[in-house]
Amino acid sequence: MGTTCSLFALDADLARGERWVRRMGERLTRFSPDSELSRLNAHAGEWFPVSAELESVLHAALGAHRMSAGLVNAAVLPSMVAIGYSHSLTHGPSVATLVGAQPLPPLPEMLEVRPGRARVARGSGVDLGGIAKGWMADRLSETLGPACVVNLGGDLRARGRWPIGVGEATLMLRDQGAATSSTRKRRWGDVHHLIDPRTGRPAQTGLEEVSVVAATALEAEVVAKTALLLGPELAPAYCAAHAMAWWLG
Amino acid sequence: MKTVATALTIGATAASAVFVTSHLKNPSAPLQPAVLNASTTSVAGVSVGPSVQPANEPPMTSTYAS
Repeated sequence: MGTTCSLFALDADLARGERWVRRMGERLTRFSPDSELSRLNAHAGEWFPVSAELESVLHAALGAHRMSAGLVNAAVLPSMVAIGYSHSLTHGPSVATLVGAQPLPPLPEMLEVRPGRARVARGSGVDLGGIAKGWMADRLSETLGPACVVNLGGDLRARGRWPIGVGEATLMLRDQGAATSSTRKRRWGDVHHLIDPRTGRPAQTGLEEVSVVAATALEAEVVAKTALLLGPELAPAYCAAHAMAWWLG
Repeated sequence: MKTVATALTIGATAASAVFVTSHLKNPSAPLQPAVLNASTTSVAGVSVGPSVQPANEPPMTSTYAS
């Protein structure tokens, strides 16, 4: 996944959880041509069979698009390629060109999901980097028992009561999730990886980092990203309506 | 019957006009969702709603940008 993951649990098989994270990471990455997601993207324009897990993440992507009024858009792959984010940054920095960066069409026009199959519109592509970690944290926490924390690259889900660092504060989370969205990491040159679907280019909203506590890790991830894209004027009201705690930076 | 129906209609119209006029504007009506007025506190710069409590012990782990 190109990031650090931490699992905490009482009376649970953490090794099994780690294997699940690695397996799902390999399945959902767009950086491996053999991953299930890459094969779906490679068959853009036609229906392609998908596993139950990928089908669930794709539904989550459509839900995130609805929840964010279109600001969290998984059909961001063409823009990612346009800004030079075509391979994992663990393999070195990319060259940003911004050539071909265009506003993104609504996700439901680019992605259709049916039981056991999905179709990506021709010329488009799906990148699950914006929601996959939160989805995985929620899913894994359900299997690790009633007392666990799953932290996948900073997007985490706590079951039971756990002290969790959010910004400079330590909060007692109880069956809640937390996530951070930032433009300070995954940068190269003058660009970063967080695409504003209204422009198809890296977001420049006046906010650089947002941390959120919400009911689930996925929800926290979506709210944090949406708030960052809304900018400092609209983000406080949005967070007040959708988050349980938040930090804007 | 026509007279009674006419009287009922005029009466209902007049009563409706009085009711609507008296409720035309309510200056105390909330202009924002109630959630915006929910009590939030600030803990080390973090806005915290009522469903989250500050912790006194060190964090087990943290959310961070990756």
